[in-house]
Amino acid sequence: MAGRSGVGGPRYPAWLALPGAAWYALFFLGPLGIMAVFSVSRREGYTDVVYDFSLENFRYLWDPLYGDVFLRTFGLATFGTAATLLVGFPFAYYLARYARRKTLLLLLVIVPFWTSFLIRTYSWLIILSPDFVLFRFLRDIGVTGEDFSLIYTREAIYIGVVYNYLPLMVLPLYAALERMDWTLVDAAQDLGDRPLTAFRRVTLPLVLPGLIVGCLLVFIPLTGEYLIPVILGGDLTVFAGNLIAQQFLTARDWPFGAAIAMVVIGAMTVMILAFTRLAAREEQYGG
Amino acid sequence: MPDQRSIWERTYNRKGFVAISALTALTAACGSDDDGDSAAGGTTTETTKELGGTLHYYNWADYVNPKTYPAFTTATGVKIKKDFFVSNEDLQAKLQGGARGYDLAAPTGYMVKILAEADLLEPIDWAKIPNATKNIDPKFKGLPFDPNDEWSVAKDWGTTGFVYRTDLVKEKPVSWRDFYDLATGPYSKKVTVLDGAPEVIGSTLVMLGHSYNSEDESELEQAKQEMLKLKPHLLAITSTEYKQMAIAGRAVLSLGWNGDGAAVAAKKPAEYIVAEEGGEFWVDSYVIPTGSKNPDAAHAWIDYVYDPAHNAVETEFTYYGSPVKRDLLKPVIDPEVFNNTDVFPEPSTIEKLEANAISPKGTKLRDRIWTEFKAA
Repeated sequence: MAGRSGVGGPRYPAWLALPGAAWYALFFLGPLGIMAVFSVSRREGYTDVVYDFSLENFRYLWDPLYGDVFLRTFGLATFGTAATLLVGFPFAYYLARYARRKTLLLLLVIVPFWTSFLIRTYSWLIILSPDFVLFRFLRDIGVTGEDFSLIYTREAIYIGVVYNYLPLMVLPLYAALERMDWTLVDAAQDLGDRPLTAFRRVTLPLVLPGLIVGCLLVFIPLTGEYLIPVILGGDLTVFAGNLIAQQFLTARDWPFGAAIAMVVIGAMTVMILAFTRLAAREEQYGG
Repeated sequence: MPDQRSIWERTYNRKGFVAISALTALTAACGSDDDGDSAAGGTTTETTKELGGTLHYYNWADYVNPKTYPAFTTATGVKIKKDFFVSNEDLQAKLQGGARGYDLAAPTGYMVKILAEADLLEPIDWAKIPNATKNIDPKFKGLPFDPNDEWSVAKDWGTTGFVYRTDLVKEKPVSWRDFYDLATGPYSKKVTVLDGAPEVIGSTLVMLGHSYNSEDESELEQAKQEMLKLKPHLLAITSTEYKQMAIAGRAVLSLGWNGDGAAVAAKKPAEYIVAEEGGEFWVDSYVIPTGSKNPDAAHAWIDYVYDPAHNAVETEFTYYGSPVKRDLLKPVIDPEVFNNTDVFPEPSTIEKLEANAISPKGTKLRDRIWTEFKAA
């Protein structure tokens, strides 16, 4: 993508990138470096960090217990990405191609962002409560049993994840679909493609960049998600984010917390590189 | 520690949890902090204002009787600036991060030790607090986290036990064993525990006849096995919301602190229990953070609240135990509070309890167990 748009564009002096670069060096690479140093240090006493080189933290992490936590985190992120894509794509498609009141619908997607993430998530506690109208009704008409409750369950976490991350998927998909030239699809169908084939051969390749962006926007923050499991899941499960927060805030073992964070960052980098490479190849074949 | 209340929880207290949307509740909570900074107001009478200046007090929310602030200002001329933390770790992170200018804070004992070791505290000058020297119950001196009373003066104390709804639980649990049996039996999925490794692991160790602070790996292993059996029966792991869950009846059995237990019992038929086997006894203490600009004002505050009459006002508000000698408190305090065993447990009850004194090694061992417990 980058290569394509760069060719033939106007050339700007390189120093224009300086403020951005300095910002990143200071506030992104700096903390990352500190974390890397922490991760090979060790904790002494209650809080002190002793800076000597040791891989002890990583050895301690090499434990099925933590392996399970990482796998579960990966599972949650994958689920969240797939689910928001499944729900978000048809919606974005409808929005871009058929919807009459686009601005209004788009506004409805964005409006939740005006409210704090925490408040939105806490309000789900009320919706998922067994005392909520919907669940009382389902109970009264006998659809659900007397003891049915979603609150503080895995399902509640999944619901919270899809709800909170959906806009991050819908917006880039919509942006890509909005730019589509639908006459291309018409042309493909005129030339004999069935709708599904036209979708696969024309629409999908054209919106692929938006789809990739959407997937990354959902997947990456989900690997660090820890508030939804605490609030909606009753804190009954551990994801990588919870593990890191626990090390920094309650176990007070910053070096170990930094080591976990480094592992998450490393794993994510590998996965994202693999994903974008795969997607880029798709795009080439498609185009 | 008694009061790990987030703003969420305080909101629920006032408005009721399910009744209204979180949005409305939170907006309301942000707008109306009834602890507002009116401390300096209302002081019309001229008094002996020897000290002056400002006392920057960093504390748990709702942990000081609002009447005490203006009374203190009147007595000393010191104005008060308030700031609140939601957990001991919150306070620690702030001080370690370099925040300076606080004159007084009230963390829990174990945190006093951690802060002292990290050089984040100023020493206490007992010569400046004659009331405390005179009126403190000797039990609250030389506590394990500050054996020489260099860094802290006790503020309030309490216990970790469990609260149950007497109308929804037929049995009369009195021990940790009862708690576990009921939790894994008839009241499965209506049980909560605190979000704290020391409290949950410690209470389980005590049930098994071990020390709350044990570092013996096989003892900890036994505790872990019990906890793993308990896990599938839990409704939630929370330190901030169990009070509301208990009041709503969604939780009927909750491992928690005595103040919260008393709060539930004030609204619904419920009883707070210090387990027969024992459990945790905690003390929150006044400390003076490093970089205090007005340590004299901090000493003045401690001295002021150690006057038995002033202390009674505090205890009647917080419902947590006072470290002032019982016989000095008795004539000046509301007898109902004085005789409430949730506030002042029997001496025979206290004898069985232990204070949190977990070492760094013990913390590491507990952390792994805690992760395993939560991941199960």
